[in-house]
Amino acid sequence: MKRELIFLFAVWKANLLSAMEYRAAFISQVAGMILNDAMYFLFWVIFFNKFEQVSGWQLPDMFLLFGIVAAGFGLGTSLFGNAMQLSDAVATGKLDYYLALPRPVLLHLLATRTNASGMGDVIYGVMSFFLAGQLTLDAFARFLLGTLFSMTIFISFLVLVQSLAFWMGHSQLLSNQATNAMITFAVYPITLFEGSARFILFTLIPAAFVGAIPAEFVRTFTWGGLAQLVGASVVMLSLAVFVFYRGLRRYESGSAIQIQL
Amino acid sequence: MPAIHVNQLRKTFTAKQKAAGLRGSLKSLVRPEQQTIEAVKGISFEMESGELLGLIGPNGAGKSTTIKILTGILYPTSGEARVLDLVPWQQRRQLAYQIGTVFGQRPQLWYHLPAIDTFALFGKIYELDDGEARKRIAFLSEAFEIEELLKTPVRKLSLGQRMRCEVAASLLHKPRLLLLDEPSIGLDVVAKQHIRDTIRRMNELEGVGVLLTSHDAGDIEALCKRVIVINHGEIVYQEKVSTLKRRFLTSKLVDVRYAEEINPDFTLDGTEIIKTGRYGVKLRFDSRQTPVESVISRLAEAGSLVDITISDPTLEEVIRKIYEESGT
Repeated sequence: MKRELIFLFAVWKANLLSAMEYRAAFISQVAGMILNDAMYFLFWVIFFNKFEQVSGWQLPDMFLLFGIVAAGFGLGTSLFGNAMQLSDAVATGKLDYYLALPRPVLLHLLATRTNASGMGDVIYGVMSFFLAGQLTLDAFARFLLGTLFSMTIFISFLVLVQSLAFWMGHSQLLSNQATNAMITFAVYPITLFEGSARFILFTLIPAAFVGAIPAEFVRTFTWGGLAQLVGASVVMLSLAVFVFYRGLRRYESGSAIQIQL
Repeated sequence: MPAIHVNQLRKTFTAKQKAAGLRGSLKSLVRPEQQTIEAVKGISFEMESGELLGLIGPNGAGKSTTIKILTGILYPTSGEARVLDLVPWQQRRQLAYQIGTVFGQRPQLWYHLPAIDTFALFGKIYELDDGEARKRIAFLSEAFEIEELLKTPVRKLSLGQRMRCEVAASLLHKPRLLLLDEPSIGLDVVAKQHIRDTIRRMNELEGVGVLLTSHDAGDIEALCKRVIVINHGEIVYQEKVSTLKRRFLTSKLVDVRYAEEINPDFTLDGTEIIKTGRYGVKLRFDSRQTPVESVISRLAEAGSLVDITISDPTLEEVIRKIYEESGT
């Protein structure tokens, strides 16, 4: 465990150094994403000015929900940015680099990319938490833990979907659609959905575990809530690792000329 | 124990086939056709520890597929392989600590960072302690003459400079075996020579075995003691390089251009004229019978030289000769 952490920190450091080679682009991506998130959330502020609540959800609840999703997604794309490019890496033979080095392929691949815009999401997510008004140390600790669960489930979902490339060849478009569906459903109050739609959000596209359930956990601690998040994280992560390594046996490499960014 | 033992190794790929144009694409969408391609067709060979072995063949011969199976990147379809007594696709991580790899078309160095940062990262990946890594980097930068290059972002290095850094990075963890896939691709003559010299020196200094693939016979001639020629996924020849040179790399090709027009009936004793143009001529000669310097001096006497290129026969020609000799 210690060995893998030292390795992970070294990769993240290299990512950061690489991103900071272009200072202006780095800063503008971080700032641009904070602005982008703020603009998106402005819609909810206007909405809740007209309607006080939606299915029991009020503006502070939305701040909390959006904070968790933005921070979880942002942390995931900052620390494991290649989750968004996994299917492309499979289809174009970019896994060769990771397979030739003595480290776990999936972990190494995921960690070898930092999306600077993800850091903007994390900053906005923390700001959103403070705007929700639940200013206690306990709540903040739960927010950090909830963010980690949200990130784990989101990244595991991406790995699962993008690993389809091992069987389908190029699946980037499908992966993008699944990612968009996950983000879109995660930032809506879960009480809006009932029946089969609700079932889907807890299973096929587990957006509930990325947004609503961790947000509820931040608002009120329950052992049940914690158990749900731990269970969903373990199941999703195990499934993602299993599917990726099954697919890896089918990896065919490629001859495209590549560079390591 | 041999460093590499390969027995009846096979690798097949399936590839989608479609006719050209929109009609072909539509047909393929409804009824896709798959074709099985046999990239490696049951090859067997061994390599001793510390040996310099060349694997040559034209593009698409199966060299890269073989080297990718031996590094654990690809699973074979069937057959056996042991590298340093490990099965590459089953013990990939253990093996990776003991081998170094360089893929000419797949740089390991991070493009936007100076090479020294990738070296530091590799130190962590291979679990070298900081002091040990620093000493090793200092040694390799002197051996590869890259001290001045290490702090420049890789994107600003020339291809030859980058490749020297790539090979140095692959030796950071003192591997017992170096697997090089087309390390000289795209390099000019001087850069190629530099890379070859340094690899040979590391073999002498540290006893690191080298398995090198190339479609340039010159790489093998300059570096390897033994050669395996591979074509269409099969081994067509394996022998000492000296034997290959004696039997198949006997002729030289010369392409020469003059400042003035030349005689259309241009001839030169001891050479065979392949093509005559207005300002230049292409000829072939047997270097065992006619010394290179004699041909050059006589060509220089024939007119005012603008350009001259001397090359070995292409691999395709060598393979054709091998087939001719074996009567297949």
